[in-house]
Amino acid sequence: MSQLLQALINGIALGGMYTVLVLGFSIIWGVLGVINFAHGEFVMVGAYLAWLANEYAGIDPFIAAPAIFVVMTVVGFVLQRVLVNRVIDRPHLVSLLVMFGVSIILANGMKLIFTADFRRNDTALDGSWQLLDGVTVPVTKFFVLLCALAILVGLSAFLQRTRLGKSIRAAAQNREAAQIVGIDVKWVYAVTFAICIGITGVAGALISPILAVQPFQGPPLTLKAFAVTAMSGLGSIKGALGGAMLLGVVEAGLAVYVAGIGTNLAVVASFVVLVVALITRPQGLFGGLRPVDATAT
Amino acid sequence: MTHLLEARGIVRRFGGLVAVDDVDIHVDEGEMVGLIGPNGSGKTTLFDCLSRVQTIDEGTVTFDGVDITRSKPHRVAHLGLARTFQVIRVYRELSVLENMELSVQWRDVGLRKLFGKPDRATREKADQLIEFLLLSRVRDELAGTLSGGQRRLLELGMSLMSDPKLVLLDEATSGVNPALVEEIKERLVILNRERGVAFLLVEHDIRFVKDLCQRVVVLNHGSKLAEGSPEAIMEDRAVIEAYFGDDGSEEPPPSAASEPSTVETV
Amino acid sequence: MSAIAAFVRSPALRRLGQVVTAATLVYLAAVPLLPQTNDATLFTYTLMLTTIGVAINWNLTGGFTGYVDFGHAVWFGIGAYVTAIFMSTEGNSLQIGWPPVLCILLGAVVSGVLAALIGSATMRLKGPYFSIAMLGTFVAMREIVRVAKPVTGGGVGLNLPLYLNRPLFYYVQLVLVAALLVFTWWLRRTRFGSALVAIREDEVGAEMRGINATRTKVAIFSFAGMSTGLFGGLWAFQITSVDPDTAFVELRTVEAVMGAMLGGIGTVIGPVIGATVLFWLNEVVWANFLDFHLIVQGVLLIVIVLYIPRGLVGLFDARGPSVITLLDKWLGTEPGDTYGDDRVPVRAGLGSAESGEWFEDEVESDPVLTGGGTEPGSDSERATV
Repeated sequence: MSQLLQALINGIALGGMYTVLVLGFSIIWGVLGVINFAHGEFVMVGAYLAWLANEYAGIDPFIAAPAIFVVMTVVGFVLQRVLVNRVIDRPHLVSLLVMFGVSIILANGMKLIFTADFRRNDTALDGSWQLLDGVTVPVTKFFVLLCALAILVGLSAFLQRTRLGKSIRAAAQNREAAQIVGIDVKWVYAVTFAICIGITGVAGALISPILAVQPFQGPPLTLKAFAVTAMSGLGSIKGALGGAMLLGVVEAGLAVYVAGIGTNLAVVASFVVLVVALITRPQGLFGGLRPVDATAT
Repeated sequence: MTHLLEARGIVRRFGGLVAVDDVDIHVDEGEMVGLIGPNGSGKTTLFDCLSRVQTIDEGTVTFDGVDITRSKPHRVAHLGLARTFQVIRVYRELSVLENMELSVQWRDVGLRKLFGKPDRATREKADQLIEFLLLSRVRDELAGTLSGGQRRLLELGMSLMSDPKLVLLDEATSGVNPALVEEIKERLVILNRERGVAFLLVEHDIRFVKDLCQRVVVLNHGSKLAEGSPEAIMEDRAVIEAYFGDDGSEEPPPSAASEPSTVETV
Repeated sequence: MSAIAAFVRSPALRRLGQVVTAATLVYLAAVPLLPQTNDATLFTYTLMLTTIGVAINWNLTGGFTGYVDFGHAVWFGIGAYVTAIFMSTEGNSLQIGWPPVLCILLGAVVSGVLAALIGSATMRLKGPYFSIAMLGTFVAMREIVRVAKPVTGGGVGLNLPLYLNRPLFYYVQLVLVAALLVFTWWLRRTRFGSALVAIREDEVGAEMRGINATRTKVAIFSFAGMSTGLFGGLWAFQITSVDPDTAFVELRTVEAVMGAMLGGIGTVIGPVIGATVLFWLNEVVWANFLDFHLIVQGVLLIVIVLYIPRGLVGLFDARGPSVITLLDKWLGTEPGDTYGDDRVPVRAGLGSAESGEWFEDEVESDPVLTGGGTEPGSDSERATV
């Protein structure tokens, strides 16, 4: 019983981490139609910023997160104007390869600056709480989950309530119609991309005390973001939460119940979940901003 | 006598929407049947079900005595059921000739043929059809550079390369200039008479259907509204209502099509 | 046809091309005999041949069928590991020690079989979903190899018996790459090759016209997997040790994709040219700016994708925006329209005595003919690369 409870708690904690990891990726895909292959690298950059802040100014990653959001938003905005704008209307392969190029540049650029050494960030929100006998709650992940939920609520409110948010949803659903009613779609795209990269940077800051920071941590994170997004529907905020929780619980459950599977094979598990989900439920489990069918041409 | 194509109780749903609702339709050998209906009445979805591009939720389809309800599209093609598409599907990066040669009856292509070049018989047949369909001039152009009307013709030619028993024609005349429409009509009649190819046509141009078809099936909101000879259909009150009806469709009324035609019906 | 396009297609230039090809072959065959060649340079040449071979294989699925495989290096790794597992006599608990040739062939076969199995699942996915599923396969396989320590030696990897004969390996790979190139050239001319392109252009249409798309694409995918596995096995044999981080390298996929893109994706010769250029470019960059080497690669990828999507081969193709059209513009030799004036109306035959008129009609009223023929999405959604 306590084992099941522990697996569930671990899964939900992991799910919170995945939620914040996946949001930016999912919305960029849903709104711009661009698969951000460099997603994991933006997480990595955010994590390095958090590490720098802690190492040189002693700022806790949870406190540095808002500043990192601002910095990464600017980075995202510039990148969108310079590069991403050019690939929006092109076939998927083009945007995929261009973002792939960006990921190579970011990973190796960071390696050049920080070397390939693993860095571990610290936070005051550390340790674990004893809940019951043999059941603990990891404190850092708990706060990451709280932050994830806060970002989720904030983002939903932004998309539902504000004028800009409504234009973003309009542009995602029907670009031409949005243009006709006077929405500057290019501007909307740039803002969306910027905000999403900002959130992704925050995700990096939040997970920096959990995952070791290193230049090549990106690809598995991109893969996870992709798995969750494809499962849950493009640009769907509820879906991102649902998909992330599902993946988290599956991984944690496997780790507890399958002897000797270890965390290394967790990535294998998430991949199998991805492919099975895509083949059996090509439309995604939760429905999103854009219709998706992984098996349709 | 059994029908060449026989579909019973076809149902296709998209989520809550029933796109095709319990439709029976059949085509006999050498017959030309029209399928008409306002926009969104489920004609193309029914075509997709019959040619097995889409799954069929309920009902059965048999073709030439074989149950194809769960068959893969390429098996259906092997049996002799070909089709064209409303949104034209040609291989844009291949030449017209290559497009044709690639649309042979793949049932007969064994390993040896698969790893050989297209043989002379195929080439001759392709050339004949290209000539028949007035495409000789663009034989070696890439299909992607053709005009809309030429692509329609090419697609028709591709569907004929496999010596089909039945061709499903989805809007063979949309986007084609009027002079060419007459040409297409004439070619369909020749194919039907001389080669015994049966056709099931989805058309907006009702005169086209009236001139060619012995029998017309009318779909509305996914279900069969009427069936009968073209003349009887034109008179049918329910059909007229469906076209003039409250769903704001921009269809031409059927009566507009009842002018005398230049081509005699078969 | 413009003067420049005519020159590009002229027999003189074609003959020049043949001479260059022959000279290249003679040079490649003579490399091991040249006085300045030592084992190190010969190994570099062998690695170049590996890069070319993998690029050709990647192009078979990515270029011909349009299934862009972001995990192609997994077959290289599997080929390398199977070879190592069956050859090695230390490091793992199996200690089989079979003869090298057998092990390398076994590696290729295992890669091919696994590619068929995994491909028949992942190739049901389309576009980016397939790409990412293959990247997932790659990452997953590396983890599995890391974990399966009793067989694979875990993170440390395996050592192979030392057997060094650089010229032999060089010639083996040269023959392999040449055979692969000829095979690709031949394949593209068969019905099977056309079917591959048909799947890329329109998979639903291809199926509707009787092509068994599933079987066709899985067949070419497993062939490519097998062939890359073969290069993997040869590589493992020459490098004499494998570990997860050297056998399963993302960069190998990157180089294959970039080689094909740079040379001309979906063409027969493109990947060869692209991979060769890329390889030597890398060597130069590597030698002079070691740290920036990969960053340069990333920038290069972006530049290729954005500015020369048809690749180097495409530059000499009169169809798209190309060197030819650019030169024509500069020199003022461009013809009035793409098709020139050599198109005369052709009378249609076969049972249509009164037809033929509409072509004149069409010449004048082309907008009518084409006006309604704009299929929604078909132009904008089609991949140009």
